[in-house]
Amino acid sequence: MNAIAVGSRPGEVPSGHDRSPLLEIEDLRISIASDASSFEVVKGVALTVCENEIVCLVGESGCGKSMTALSVMGLLPRGIAEVTGGRIAFEGQSLLSLQKRELRRLRADSISMIFQDPITSLDPVFTIGSVLEEVIRSHRDVSRTEAREIAVRALMEAELPDAADRLDSYPHQLSGGMRQRVMIALAIALDPKLLIADEPTTALDVTVQAQILENLRERQREREMGMLLITHDLAVVASVADRVAVMYAGEIVEEAPVDELFSDPQHPYTQGLIRALPDISVSKGSLYSIPGRVPPPQVPPPGCLFAPRCEHALDLCWEASPELSRDGAKSLRCINAQPFEIG
Amino acid sequence: MTELDASRSSHAQAWDERVAAYEKEARANPWQKKLRKFSRNKLLFTGSVLGILIIGLGLIGPLIIGSDYVGQSLRNTHLPPLSEGYLLGTDQYGRDLLVRLCIGIRVSLFVAAAVTSIALVVGMALGMCGGFLGGTVDRAVRSVTDFIWGFPLILVAVLLAGGLGQGLFPVILAVGIVNVAAITRVVRGEVVVLRAKEFVEAARACGISRFRIMWRHLLPNVMAPALVLASYYVAVAIIAEAGLSFIGLGAQPPLPSLGKMVADGRGFLRINHWESTVPGIGIAGLVLSVSLIGDGLRDVFDPQLRHEAKGVEKG
Amino acid sequence: MKRTASRLAYTVIVLFVSSIAVFYAIRLSGGDATAAALPGSATEEFREEFRDRLGLNEPIYQQYFTYMGRILSGDPGNSLTNNKALTDMLTEHGRNSLILGGTAFGLVFLVGIPLGILASLRRNSWADQGIMSLSTVAMAVPNFWLALLAVWLFASTLGWLPSAGCCGTKQLILPAVVLAFEGIALTVRMTRSAMIESQNSDYVRTLRAGGLSEWRITCKHVLRNALIPIISLAGLRIGQIVGYALIVETIFGWPGLGQVLVNAVLRRDYPVAQFFSLVLVALVVLGNWLADTGYTIANPRLRKST
Repeated sequence: MNAIAVGSRPGEVPSGHDRSPLLEIEDLRISIASDASSFEVVKGVALTVCENEIVCLVGESGCGKSMTALSVMGLLPRGIAEVTGGRIAFEGQSLLSLQKRELRRLRADSISMIFQDPITSLDPVFTIGSVLEEVIRSHRDVSRTEAREIAVRALMEAELPDAADRLDSYPHQLSGGMRQRVMIALAIALDPKLLIADEPTTALDVTVQAQILENLRERQREREMGMLLITHDLAVVASVADRVAVMYAGEIVEEAPVDELFSDPQHPYTQGLIRALPDISVSKGSLYSIPGRVPPPQVPPPGCLFAPRCEHALDLCWEASPELSRDGAKSLRCINAQPFEIG
Repeated sequence: MTELDASRSSHAQAWDERVAAYEKEARANPWQKKLRKFSRNKLLFTGSVLGILIIGLGLIGPLIIGSDYVGQSLRNTHLPPLSEGYLLGTDQYGRDLLVRLCIGIRVSLFVAAAVTSIALVVGMALGMCGGFLGGTVDRAVRSVTDFIWGFPLILVAVLLAGGLGQGLFPVILAVGIVNVAAITRVVRGEVVVLRAKEFVEAARACGISRFRIMWRHLLPNVMAPALVLASYYVAVAIIAEAGLSFIGLGAQPPLPSLGKMVADGRGFLRINHWESTVPGIGIAGLVLSVSLIGDGLRDVFDPQLRHEAKGVEKG
Repeated sequence: MKRTASRLAYTVIVLFVSSIAVFYAIRLSGGDATAAALPGSATEEFREEFRDRLGLNEPIYQQYFTYMGRILSGDPGNSLTNNKALTDMLTEHGRNSLILGGTAFGLVFLVGIPLGILASLRRNSWADQGIMSLSTVAMAVPNFWLALLAVWLFASTLGWLPSAGCCGTKQLILPAVVLAFEGIALTVRMTRSAMIESQNSDYVRTLRAGGLSEWRITCKHVLRNALIPIISLAGLRIGQIVGYALIVETIFGWPGLGQVLVNAVLRRDYPVAQFFSLVLVALVVLGNWLADTGYTIANPRLRKST
């Protein structure tokens, strides 16, 4: 069997669409403009995150998952990437049509985000306390002392050791893992309803990764936050996700509850990802990898984007882009799905 | 990596060809790409055109109009431009301003070329040795260049002129020393970054000699930033020579230097301001073209360099 | 603070080395020293006696120590041309130079930084393009020519300001602006690129994600970070002003240290040349140290020893 076992978590509500949706993304399109050309990097993504659930968005680097996350926050790099179509709604309210000020009020307060690289993500010339205080006071009408109390509480929840003494530290005095805890504190200090974490553990040591993930999951459960976790690491997915969306070359190719995704993956790309996981129970098996490469975004294949790498591609696959078909909690973008077998 | 069967569908083959064609174009000769970028870069284009015009005037002009820059004509002093026989007019001794402008440009170009070649060769050698060899060599290189770099160029030149006497030589020496220090600093910084890169480690692991690594692997990588920086220091050299000649420390009469010509025309601003305006425009045009080329080269080669280049010292 | 102290030690060493360099540079042409002070008709015996009196016949390293001893004891000697005490010249001309240099230094930052910020905030607008083209041109115009143009326009043609002289506010305006000109252009460009780099940084993205207003992020965080590279090059700006002062003071007849030094070199008045070179070098070296200290204070990564 596979090395990554999906742990069953007793007492948990089964995931699904029975809770009220927090974040709804429909047909989101994002383009990147370079010197002369512009091309689509996110091609009609649809995704929903409900209260008290962790949705993982999985895919290789460059597949558009970070762009999707940034567009929710309205933080796409200006002049480079732009939302060219679709809808993003938070609690039914469209985010794309919001005024800058209204969007700003939502940030950190209702929706917050944690970034990949904690080393560069904190302002080097201010103490972490002053930044936390500034963010808290820009949303809540509290005194400086109260703001510091909120900050210390958030840092303690993020499990930063000696939280109260760290307020006057500068980022360079903290390790990478500690800085990421500060980022978490910054993200949860104002009790947001939705937390977006973009590869929060990728830049960290393996031992710290597990602690940070565990901490994020605890905070999510106790606050019943919705959480969108972006990662390329299936091990992370298996350990925290409720629901998983797999992204390939700017499209969602498969979405399913985590147990089902690992036990019965439908899309050949998902199957390839799972087969590519190293299996420690087999001592010297050769590693599997998906043949071929991601198509360059400048020259998309005519039909299914995965067809050039797919073992089961039919002529039809090359001719028309398959639609995302829904089946209960699952959806799939493939017209010739084959049963999964570990190869 | 497991490859798909050789018996791929016709669709797949067509697709493979399209990707291959795209990648071939994307990978097209990097120099070709750079050339295309060169021709598209507005700064580079304007700078080059201006530069070619002025340099052409300095190099080819005297061949056509003669190079008699000392010939006086006391009947024709202070003539304005477009006077008969004198396209740009004459100065207080009735010397042809156009001829003197051409020769002045030659002097500027000579100083700039001398200084910049010294600075590039010595600066790159020192910077690469310091950065790559490390240890005592590096410490020595660093302390000497830091020491020199902090000094204002004009002050160094005045000091040297105080010791060596007036003339072009102390100017070239002063500007050369300061520019060597500047280029050494940047090259050293680049090499320290490169040294830690995998390709250098790989070369070392293969047992390639240190000299060969520097020559074959480091040199091509520091060439671009060094050249971009050197173009800034060409401008520095031109301005410094003109300024020093202006206060009487550089080129000595009767050799026309643009700076000296501006100074000579100073007393006659009310009579015929062109005597100092013409060489002034000459200097400004020359420096402008060099800085535009420098900015353009930086955009093409190395957007990262802008910080260092902005700190270029001209004083 | 360790860094500041070690930089101070380094500064003292630099001062020492440069005093030797200055001493030797000026003395390279030692034999001519009598030409400035004595009439051409003076006999060789008289010249020899004169050299003896000045200690010019001793070994040069001994001359150096004697000379430094005299400077440190506050008596650097007199000018060869007008026999004025160098200390008196220093107080008189030093004051003038401080006024001019200080004004120019202030202008560099008070004008350069706001213009650079404006350009970075309105990136690619006409204001930005105007400011950037002007600064490119400003860097290409040699300041002595700029001085002439300014004199021609504001003094000769418009008659608003005097073309030369000392030391009122009116006389100060033209030389100070000309002296600051290139520094302003460089500061504008540096400020702009530092601001843009900071605006595109990850930590600004974090602050945006924290819901802070764009205005607040720019004024507080972007600006604070952008100031660090600007401060780090403030020492260079001091050096640039000292260097250009030699030219600008000469042109505007501003009786400062620069003008005195240039005249002394042209007249081969070596005690003056030597002493005032040393003073200017010391000014530059100390300016660099001050700028480094400022940099250390502005940058928390260096402030606390790590």
